[in-house]
Amino acid sequence: MKRLRAVIVKEFAHILRDPASLSIIFLMPLLMMFVFGYSINYDLNSIETGLIDYDGGEAAGELGRSFANNHYFKVRNLRKEFPNESAPEVGERLLKQGALKMVIIIPRDFSKNLKLGRKSDVGIIIDGSDSNVANLVHQYNEMVIFNFVTELKGIDELIKIKTKIYFNPEVKSAFFFIPGLVAILLVMISAILTSLSVSREKESGSIDLIFISPLKSSEIIIGKTIPYVFVAFAVGAMTLLFARFWFGVPIRGNLFALLVLSLIYMVAGLAMGILISTVAPSQQAAMFMALLSTMLPSIMLSGFIFPIDAMPKPLQVISHIVPARYYLKIIRGMAVKGAGLEHFIKEAGALVIFAAVLMTAATIKFSRNRKRAK
Amino acid sequence: MRLFYLVKKELIEIFRQKELLPLLFIAPMIQIIILGYVVTTDIERVPVNIINLSVNKATNRIINRIEKSPLFDVKNIYFTNRDNMDVLKRSAVAAVILFRDPFSNTDVRNKRDNPLKYPEIRILMDGIDSNTSSIAAGYFNGIIKKFILADMEKLGVVLPVENKTVIRFNPELKSINYMGPGIVALLLTILTLFLTSVSIVREKEQQTMDTLLISRLTPVEIYIGKAMPMAIIGLIHMCIGVAVVVLWFKIPVRGNLLYLFIAAVVFLAALLSYSLMISTIAATQQQGLFFAWFSMVTFILLSGLFTPTENVPQALQFLVKINPLVYLVKIIREIFLKGNGIEYFYKDLLALAGIAVVAISLSLMNFKRFISG
Repeated sequence: MKRLRAVIVKEFAHILRDPASLSIIFLMPLLMMFVFGYSINYDLNSIETGLIDYDGGEAAGELGRSFANNHYFKVRNLRKEFPNESAPEVGERLLKQGALKMVIIIPRDFSKNLKLGRKSDVGIIIDGSDSNVANLVHQYNEMVIFNFVTELKGIDELIKIKTKIYFNPEVKSAFFFIPGLVAILLVMISAILTSLSVSREKESGSIDLIFISPLKSSEIIIGKTIPYVFVAFAVGAMTLLFARFWFGVPIRGNLFALLVLSLIYMVAGLAMGILISTVAPSQQAAMFMALLSTMLPSIMLSGFIFPIDAMPKPLQVISHIVPARYYLKIIRGMAVKGAGLEHFIKEAGALVIFAAVLMTAATIKFSRNRKRAK
Repeated sequence: MRLFYLVKKELIEIFRQKELLPLLFIAPMIQIIILGYVVTTDIERVPVNIINLSVNKATNRIINRIEKSPLFDVKNIYFTNRDNMDVLKRSAVAAVILFRDPFSNTDVRNKRDNPLKYPEIRILMDGIDSNTSSIAAGYFNGIIKKFILADMEKLGVVLPVENKTVIRFNPELKSINYMGPGIVALLLTILTLFLTSVSIVREKEQQTMDTLLISRLTPVEIYIGKAMPMAIIGLIHMCIGVAVVVLWFKIPVRGNLLYLFIAAVVFLAALLSYSLMISTIAATQQQGLFFAWFSMVTFILLSGLFTPTENVPQALQFLVKINPLVYLVKIIREIFLKGNGIEYFYKDLLALAGIAVVAISLSLMNFKRFISG
């Protein structure tokens, strides 16, 4: 116990003597949440639309207006705006430039045909490069045109579809992204914190002093981790508070349970960092490994942005070894939906197992290094 | 010649870390491939439960459509009403769709002579993932509407307006076509930023900087000698990335790859001088790495790679404007997807060059001050 305390005190001293790094660790999550909380979302409000109206009749005007009045579209009349150029060429150019996301072409005789009860086409060109946006644009289009048609035909609403949205009735993407950001930041910071702790000593050579000390390998590993648990907990609590009070992400569930699970999650991250630290030859390599093993998988395979259900099967399987996957489910469920701990026993268990396995692996790897050094 | 030896020394310092090598060259490839499969922002297989309380025949046909659609993954169908909060809270399904017959007899839809009789539909949706829920709702409405339109046409009602949609540049709407080229830009960023951010501060920490300083190398030579190896590694990475994107994912290159190369070099000039500046200012490797990490995450998340930059609020738009990755991602996408020539993106290239010039001069000034101080 006394020996363990010595390691802890030493590691604390390491943390405290570099206040610059420590303040980066505390400021970074706040800054990132601040910037990304406002910046990352999918909300699509004004689809830049070009209208080429060859008809100019009453019905054509009405169709144009039903797009213009819809807040999803921002309509520019290309024939009016560029009277001296050929409208399709202007449309083509603006699409290529990315200034327009779609172009609507209303053919000649559109109004006449409609009046005579004949069929008429409307041409629509969508920039498909961002398939996600294109899909949304397409959906909105269909909606506008369908409504136009049903109104024209005087067909009453044939079917009633009522949608009720739970947990996030205003459909704010912050409720989705902020908990996700918390999940990514916490695991990234934890892994990075410890990943440098052993590799730094390797680089400076002071690792030999630790090797020849009477300390057990497990004591060294645990002793090196514990101080960071405090740092991580402080960072985690601060991040959650920021999400709650700055971004107004509700914490509807049991706050205490959420904090405990967050701590377990961060311990898993710290353990991953310490394992990396024993493997990596230099601080640079350690940092790089920590990043590869936390940031990218946590962004890609956790369901943060990309839904797990839509991934190919093998990747869905791989996603089970990404701790962020479990924590994300917990934080979204417990914070925003107000689900209780009983819903997430499996996820919590997975996080505990992660932490335990990684800590053990780090200890084994460390004692092997030690034997080889002797 | 002196410069050559310095570049050689730098490369040796990287390549002697045996454990780092696979990370440097194989990991990025694996990541890009995984990323390629993951970044389908295409919403598919949305898990739903269905509750069918309707006796209308149309209901069964609608449910059948939903089950056949690849867009939805129907987990359970129930014929009695039940409490749905629990499944939604556990995120077992993203939505519960409930069908029932309209109650009121006065309802137009329920009149006996109306052949177009449809159930009432209620969708209970988990709104946390606003993106998935709005797209899924759109899909659902689309399915229902097509269904009704087909019925109406059977009854001889001609729909007066047909919407003929053409999708340009990415007609199959595959998100990999959009993401893949962007990932090439990502590869160019991650590694170079990290490797460079410690290159000077490591020598400070190990006190080998003095050896360099008393050599006959001029400050500018040292500076270039530090940047060049990273630029080479970065460009190799980009080539790997382009190869994977073209050969593995079969994404067509419609434009000229020479422009891509030019843009990459300008981008690297900006990024490397920025990370050398980090390395000069940092007191320890740890600080350098922390700062590089922070910069990297900022560059990537505000690059328009994953989410559109238009959504960044006005007050923060300046971060987008000075982010070199924004321009690179844009140029790469235009080259790959739209086959645009330089007349479409020369402005972006100029902006990138402007950023590079500012970054180089600030960074070099800083470096000279550091050396003389």
